[in-house]
Amino acid sequence: MRRRDLVARVGLYVVLGAGLLVVVGPFLWAVLSSVKPEAEIRRIPATWWPEVFTLDNYRELLSRLDFPQAFANSAIVAVLTTLGNLAFCSLLGYALAKLRFPGKRALFLVVLGTLMVPSMVTFVPQFVMVSNLGLVNSYGGLILPFLATPFGVFLMRQYLLSVPDELIEAARVDGAGELRIFARVVLPLCGPALATLTILTFLASWNNFLWPLVVATTEDRYTLPVALALYSVGQNRIDYGLVLAGAVAVLLPVVIVFVLLQRHFLRGIATTGLK
Amino acid sequence: MTTHRRLGTAAMLVAALVLGACGRDSGGGGDAAQPVAEGKATGEITVWAMGTEGEKLGAFAQEFMAENPDAKVNVTAVPWDAAHQKIASAIAGKQTPDVSMLGTTWMGEFAKTGALDPTPEGTVARGDFFPGAWDTTVVDGTSYGVPWYVETRLIYYRKDLAAKAGVSAPTTWDELKSFATAMRDKGGTKWGMNLQPGGTGSWQSFMPFAWSNGAGLADGDAFTLDSPQMTEALAYYQSFFTEKLSPPTDLSLQGALEQSFINGSLAAFISGPWHVSLLTDQGGAAFKEKFAVTAMPRKQSATSFVGGSDLAVFKDAKNRDGAWKFVSWLSRPEVQIKWYQTVSDLPAVQGAWSDPTLSGDPILATFGEQLKDAKSPPAIPTWEQVAAVIDGEVEKVAKSGTDPAAAAKAMQQRASGIGTGA
Repeated sequence: MRRRDLVARVGLYVVLGAGLLVVVGPFLWAVLSSVKPEAEIRRIPATWWPEVFTLDNYRELLSRLDFPQAFANSAIVAVLTTLGNLAFCSLLGYALAKLRFPGKRALFLVVLGTLMVPSMVTFVPQFVMVSNLGLVNSYGGLILPFLATPFGVFLMRQYLLSVPDELIEAARVDGAGELRIFARVVLPLCGPALATLTILTFLASWNNFLWPLVVATTEDRYTLPVALALYSVGQNRIDYGLVLAGAVAVLLPVVIVFVLLQRHFLRGIATTGLK
Repeated sequence: MTTHRRLGTAAMLVAALVLGACGRDSGGGGDAAQPVAEGKATGEITVWAMGTEGEKLGAFAQEFMAENPDAKVNVTAVPWDAAHQKIASAIAGKQTPDVSMLGTTWMGEFAKTGALDPTPEGTVARGDFFPGAWDTTVVDGTSYGVPWYVETRLIYYRKDLAAKAGVSAPTTWDELKSFATAMRDKGGTKWGMNLQPGGTGSWQSFMPFAWSNGAGLADGDAFTLDSPQMTEALAYYQSFFTEKLSPPTDLSLQGALEQSFINGSLAAFISGPWHVSLLTDQGGAAFKEKFAVTAMPRKQSATSFVGGSDLAVFKDAKNRDGAWKFVSWLSRPEVQIKWYQTVSDLPAVQGAWSDPTLSGDPILATFGEQLKDAKSPPAIPTWEQVAAVIDGEVEKVAKSGTDPAAAAKAMQQRASGIGTGA
């Protein structure tokens, strides 16, 4: 390797390393601090490596919460919400991208329109609806409102526009029905978009706090973020050890999902905007 | 063109849905309280309580269920973080529990939605409670709940450094100023006194001075924020910053308040009872010997802020009578003492304070003394907005040297624009 290349490479790594430190630093501190006692977490100047290593924060978290139940609730809600989005958003996205039917433009505009309404505006009316349907404190109430999202439909439509019409027409000539074309020809081409949708939906559902808090009226329906918030933040004081241990507990499954789907995710983001 | 019209129609549809959902008839005021049936409580009583209270209340209620064998208390713990939003949505969706714990400053807002049941005669006696705490439940002359536990603010100061500086606990405004100056100049601290220099909740730090100077927040439906007493209190508050006695950046926001107090760079601050355990947790058990608390300094009065939580029963309660009986039980002095021993919540019932558990502890006894002269903001639905206005003006006074009279005038003007929601 030539000398100048070497210098350039070293320089690049220094810059990237600094960027990495800025991005990962806070997470690293949170993870390390979750095993420190409260007094050390609050100490100024802050310490990086725990001087006193303790699992008390996690122990307290587990003993005061029904952790398995909350984890199971979160998993059920996140998985079903994600499956619903994959099914409905890709179906509607396909229809909007490839089928011809009256009112298609208007339908797409309605989807776009709902995309622009902030969720806080629809929060209370949506809760009143769920309440009138008798779904308060049920998995139905937690999942149903999020089964299909306008963003997901938009994402799938944009991606499907890039699928060549010739493929679909060829299948039609061979005598395949619409659902068969969708399942056998179109879906297999949507890998990156579906992976992106999976991650975004799973993340949004997993981290959702306000909706499950309001809809779940007994503790056995609380999802993880709600249950974790129970005892860490008080009226006048915050228990940082519990907050950090809880954050790590919520973070882990998401990190695992992301690492598993990372390759697809990056490809999906890179191609959705293109046409 | 057609695109625009279609989008417009969609937007109107959404707006109509939102407005339709908000159309709950608002009551509040002039509600007549129905009596509660005689006899023991029966049936299921659902209760929402926040944080630690929610965690411990279920087991604590066993004794109530032993006294009322046909009643069953079901407690759901709710995170403090978003409890306000949860209760507001529950009211809109008519999914309220029978009883809920409510922050004292939320009472005006929730009572005005018409969702709270007025406190029936005979469930509790008003005179049993600290007057400042009882006032938090009263909206337009009607009480919509019962104080459960209270907290008030005192001055925490370093005993050892005060001895070094040759000063004793301040009792008047002038003494507080000379106390803070001596702590800085002779006690070896960097800051003589920490007052919150603005930011969310700084009204709780400032209002005790205003109240002690005879200023009030509102008289009936009109705000009284630009009174000469208010201006004078703002000027006094400001002097701690201009004389460099109080740090210009919020130490508690940086999480540095306790550490500064423990390492001796801060001599004193104002806070509530929770700081006793925060300080001993972080400073070690021996640190307990180094600090003390003292009442707010006197001007015309020596008034502090009273906060805490109230218990309210909802009009949609499925078991209203059982709910009030449970609230009444929680207000018994002996139950309040037991509750203090369970979660360290200070009793709202004055009679409980004669118990040696509380009166025997010098720090707690000081809190008990201060509670007799402690006020809360008026229970109006717009309070959180008005509080934000006060926070903002306090910040200008403390940080950028805004003229106190101009700040008081701005407070009055902006608060009047918001209104009392009456």
